[in-house]
Amino acid sequence: MMRSRFDEQLATLNNELTQMGAMCEEAIAAASKALAMGDVKLTEKVLSLDEEINRMERMIETLCLKLLLQQQPVAGDLRQISAALKMITDMERIGTQAADIAEIITFLDGRTGEECGYIRFMAEAASQMVTESIDAFVKQDALLADTAIERDDEVDRLFLQVKASLIQLIAENPKDGGYALDLLMIAKYFERIGDHAVNIAEWVLFSMTGVHKGETG
Amino acid sequence: MTKKIFKSIVLAAGGVLCASFVIIMGCLYEYFTNVQSRQLESELSLAAAAVEESGQTYLEGLKPEQYRLTWVDQNGDVLYDTQSDGKTMENHGDREEIQEAMRNGVGKSVRYSTTLLEKTIYYAQKLKDGSVLRISVSGVTVWFLVLGMLQPVLVVMTGALILSGILAGRLSRHIMEPLNNLDLEKPLENDTYEEIAPLLNRIHKQHQQIAMQLSELQQKNDEFAQITQGMTEGLVLLNEKNRIVSINPAALKLFSAQPSCIDKDFLTIERSHDLSGAIQDALLNGHSEITMERNGKEYQLHVNRIESGGTVIGSVLLAFDITETANAERNRREFTANVSHELKTPLQSIMGSAELMENGLVKAEDMPRFVGHIRTEAQRLVTLIEDIIRLSRLDEGSEMPFEDVDLYEAAKETVAELQTAAAAENIKVTVSGERVCVRAVRQLVGEILFNLCDNAIKYNKKGGTVEIITGREENMAVISVKDSGIGIPPEYQARVFERFYRVDKSRSKESGGTGLGLSIVKHAVQYLHGSIDLRSTPGEGTVIRVWFRL
Repeated sequence: MMRSRFDEQLATLNNELTQMGAMCEEAIAAASKALAMGDVKLTEKVLSLDEEINRMERMIETLCLKLLLQQQPVAGDLRQISAALKMITDMERIGTQAADIAEIITFLDGRTGEECGYIRFMAEAASQMVTESIDAFVKQDALLADTAIERDDEVDRLFLQVKASLIQLIAENPKDGGYALDLLMIAKYFERIGDHAVNIAEWVLFSMTGVHKGETG
Repeated sequence: MTKKIFKSIVLAAGGVLCASFVIIMGCLYEYFTNVQSRQLESELSLAAAAVEESGQTYLEGLKPEQYRLTWVDQNGDVLYDTQSDGKTMENHGDREEIQEAMRNGVGKSVRYSTTLLEKTIYYAQKLKDGSVLRISVSGVTVWFLVLGMLQPVLVVMTGALILSGILAGRLSRHIMEPLNNLDLEKPLENDTYEEIAPLLNRIHKQHQQIAMQLSELQQKNDEFAQITQGMTEGLVLLNEKNRIVSINPAALKLFSAQPSCIDKDFLTIERSHDLSGAIQDALLNGHSEITMERNGKEYQLHVNRIESGGTVIGSVLLAFDITETANAERNRREFTANVSHELKTPLQSIMGSAELMENGLVKAEDMPRFVGHIRTEAQRLVTLIEDIIRLSRLDEGSEMPFEDVDLYEAAKETVAELQTAAAAENIKVTVSGERVCVRAVRQLVGEILFNLCDNAIKYNKKGGTVEIITGREENMAVISVKDSGIGIPPEYQARVFERFYRVDKSRSKESGGTGLGLSIVKHAVQYLHGSIDLRSTPGEGTVIRVWFRL
């Protein structure tokens, strides 16, 4: 009887996490699209999603603490709940950084960063990483988690390319210095989002295997 | 059941034991009392005779140990008693047995001690002189006997109960064994008590009923699966907790999920915020619909709540592929916009000229030019409207007569029609190849050839050439129209068959095209179940080939 109630609560936790993950995906996808289209209206959507993500984080946090206190879980259950607690922190950061990107986009005056094509690839790769890590969580798929973790190298590489091309942009058009810096900030946020996606993937692996990155056995 | 059998056996044994104990005690006691009373009576009558004979001296000489004799005179005063001093004893006239003896000659009574464990039996006899002689004996009551026998009886009873307990246990096990070994899967094949045969029959019938209902259910499930398997629409059934109850292949493909997702939460296969919102909405309000994009296609999703007996038991999600409808809708909107624009342009021009003439701003010598202008623009309108009518007829797919058409002859006829236009541009048009007969609509073949040649002439260089070649290729008939014209840049080649699409918008006016020619060709070819192919190199020319099945 107790166990079935506990299972139900764990299922709720899983669902809420999935929904929060979906919101993160949506937020970053909307941020990328807003950048590509120079669409200021979409940035509003990102901001409202960020608010909802924050609310969701509070809710999941409360649920996790309630589960920890009332059910005193052990072994796999404890791993799952503690991993959830860590994951929501990363998801919340992704949401906030997507909102930060959206905010910068409103200052770009409709410019879409087309002078620096790598930033689009970065947005795409980061977006994909988030999707992959959430997918890995939903499907409990270690392979997908590994894919997401490996993709981070690609995002890091792209960031360096963005930096190089922005330096060139400033050199050619000193007037565009502010614009280039804004783009650099956006790229940095995407890079950070990639890191958070890696964290999520690592927590997924931890909740499945009980081993966290770098540890052995 | 074993317990019950055991209990009743032990109870029965105990009951029988107790009853027999009581009855035996009763009978024994009765018997001994009778014997005792008879003894007393004879003793008394002997004593009475002796007392009448010798009076008190007999009594005094008597030293009885078992009984007590009391002699009472007519008034009840004790004359003598064998155990106490008669003088000190109280008057016995009120005693029951003495009164009875005085009345009837003999009397009898029994008195119990306060503990009920002892009783005294009295017998009295009236002597001839009116005095009464009484004999009494003390004896134990039945309760004393019971108390005395209690211990051995208890031992016996305990022994009997233990024995009957063991026996009862064995017996009940023995009775229960066949019941425990019943094969309920095949109730009629059991060889057991006939008393439970009706029960077994009933079980058998219920088995049959269950099997029948199961097969019915299976059949319904199969039907449902058959229907949903073949559906092109995606169908997902969810229970009230949003777990997937059933999902058809189309939906699996749409959400790129595995069949193992059944009984998992819907979020595991599709977590888009909009869709989970729509499902929640449907659970609350009964129905909701959203459109979403997936795998490059557009889907419309209807979510409906399922209720049973007033409670919500889940929801059903139906996904329609509306890509084509949406495309068609978009095309129709674009076409309407284009048509309005194309119709408006010549009308504006006509209106402009007419207004100038109306206001007398046109000199008499310019009049023919303006009238001519109005006429050409009107002609343009007519051509445009004719083209639109042709296209819409092809769109409608109305029936047109199929007949044998000689492509070579048709090409010749078309060239003859266009000869003047070609001559004006100094363009040489040739027809070559073999005669090929296809089953087609003559009018449409003419339409195709006319539009292709017309384009080849219009978009040609001065003094260029147009070659029409008819022939066979494997089992297909081919018409190839080749020009030495300006060609179409690769990026526009895919779009030239769209309605009102022009590569070079500035040239439309001078060439007098409607922008519908190639669109009509494409539709006509589709109507005739043929195919079309365009190859072009800018600056060198274009080859358009049309195949028909022979």
